[in-house]
Amino acid sequence: MPELRRDPVVGRWVIIDSEHSKGPLDFPKDNNTPRHHAICPFCPGREHQTPHEADAVRPPKSLPDTPGWQVRTVPNKFPVLTAEGSLAKEGIGIYDQMTGVGAHEVVIESPDHDKTLTELTREEMLSVIGQYQSRFRQLSKDARFKYVVLFKNFGSSAGATVEHAHSQIIALPMVPKTVLEEIKGAEEYHQKQSRCVFCDMIAQEYQDKERIVAENTSFLAFCPYAPRYAFETWIIPKGHSADFALADQSTQAHLAQVLQDVLKRIKKVLGNPSYNYYLHTAPVGYADPSCYHWHIEIIPKLTRSVGFEWGTGLHIVPTFPQDAARYLREV
Amino acid sequence: MSQLRKDPLVNRWTIIATERARRPAAFVDPQSTVTNQKNCPYCQDKASPCIDESNGVKIINSSSPILDDSKPFEPHRHGLYEAAHSYGSHEIVVESPEHIANMADLPLVQIKAVLQAYALRMQTHRKNPFIEYTLAYKNYGVAAGSRNIGHARSQIMAVSVLPMRVKDKISGAEKYFDVHERCLFCDMVSQEIKNKERVIVENEHFVVIAPFASRFPFESWVLPKFHQCDFVEGIKAQEDSLASIMKDILLRFKIGLNDPAYNYMIQTSPVKDASSYKDYYHWHIEVMPRLTRVAGFERGTGFYICPIPPEMAAAFLREVDIRA
Repeated sequence: MPELRRDPVVGRWVIIDSEHSKGPLDFPKDNNTPRHHAICPFCPGREHQTPHEADAVRPPKSLPDTPGWQVRTVPNKFPVLTAEGSLAKEGIGIYDQMTGVGAHEVVIESPDHDKTLTELTREEMLSVIGQYQSRFRQLSKDARFKYVVLFKNFGSSAGATVEHAHSQIIALPMVPKTVLEEIKGAEEYHQKQSRCVFCDMIAQEYQDKERIVAENTSFLAFCPYAPRYAFETWIIPKGHSADFALADQSTQAHLAQVLQDVLKRIKKVLGNPSYNYYLHTAPVGYADPSCYHWHIEIIPKLTRSVGFEWGTGLHIVPTFPQDAARYLREV
Repeated sequence: MSQLRKDPLVNRWTIIATERARRPAAFVDPQSTVTNQKNCPYCQDKASPCIDESNGVKIINSSSPILDDSKPFEPHRHGLYEAAHSYGSHEIVVESPEHIANMADLPLVQIKAVLQAYALRMQTHRKNPFIEYTLAYKNYGVAAGSRNIGHARSQIMAVSVLPMRVKDKISGAEKYFDVHERCLFCDMVSQEIKNKERVIVENEHFVVIAPFASRFPFESWVLPKFHQCDFVEGIKAQEDSLASIMKDILLRFKIGLNDPAYNYMIQTSPVKDASSYKDYYHWHIEVMPRLTRVAGFERGTGFYICPIPPEMAAAFLREVDIRA
């Protein structure tokens, strides 16, 4: 029987469509095997095909924009926002606009064209996480930027245009809507309960158990109670922490482990699907770190959103989160 | 340099990516509409029993409903979480007795009959005290989420909660009204008509614009020129006018963008307390060709990257010759 569920942070209702409940094999398959080595601008030896390196994990004496790197960050060749210029705001009648000032970077996650995140060694994966954090710290220093978002599009149906393993980072001159909604919900909850809603969520997930996918010393991976998408999975630090940029070395190592573990499970259960993940952290200079709790949301791209979802923001999810979690846990 | 634009209603920012702007023609994306009449459930009358039929428009229950009235709504708490039965109804509107795929190709009188059917069904659902919102919408083409049946249809859902995006719109419109004592949509209509560059087409009662902070390339909004919060009331005596402007914009998509997949949804005021929305809400239709994919950034931030300035999209659609 279909069920409506409410997200406790932003108050969004979703419909779990259990009548046509879908298991992992019921979704159309993507072919995400790498093929295009010959023309890949992210491969070593083609460093000149990208803008100049902004940051990298590479041996001490090796030069920027030369091979030898393990992880490499470059400005996006086709940026949606550009770093030059000052922030100019303008009103036109009822409308507001501002100049597209921001930063748009690409983190190339491995020199090896054929490796996806799931095939990296533990050390290589840790370098990727370390590079993410290094970029967060760097970009947060620019006073024009209010928010830094890290996201990954894997597979063409999740929006990837280059198959070589990479993520993207965009620094924005404002806090985006989805994050504002989470913060507002978390602040309201904190006012009422004097507790962090995410911490309470973690406690309840431990009690219920059925939605847990994986865990380690520092992190819990679970399928949220009111997901927007089938097999949506969150990775959240068990201890309260608002800001990803402050995660210490051992937390980063635990994140590398759990993120890779969850991605392997998704790959195995759903047959190497396209997916997105993104990191939600507190805005730059956020005043009250007791309310917010950073986390990563992973969304396998299995269904298309249709008119109803665009029109209402009411998502229809074909798989119960406890079923999705069981498949992912037991693989 | 790209530009950031804010939607005045829900305060959602969009990046208009002029740096990587694609020419309108770059979006033209043919989709194959397989029209196999033999397998069409609506032609063979194999679909669920008919709830209502008039002027060649049939209303049937969805064969795979995601909402039903087998149990009451009754929300219950589970610790931090809340769940309820997915109470409501889910109906299919079969738009024509003929096997025609795209609404753009239906005769005006048939489109009018479809719009009237929406209004009738909405009226019926509103009488149910457990219904909070009714949405009439269409998924055309596989990329828009439709199965490939090749027979024009749309859907009506009646739900027992007020969906998040509707709430956002209502609260944005209310805030604007509190400050200006005017309807935001009425101000939008007059600014767009004065400004002209984002107007795609207009007639006596309606104007179609490419919204200032478009989320998608060629996103178009059909706005009534006269203030009315409610679709059912709003189309009275204006059905012909709305049918003709809907056909017009859908033909512009079909001819200009080579029959793309699209969605539209009718955004009307909530069922309950209609009187309180009366002054500040303004019904409208959002029409969106599905030419790009939503990726991680949009999903994670609710922040859209629109690869073509809406002024360019409007100019392109304005110039499409639909008489052909």
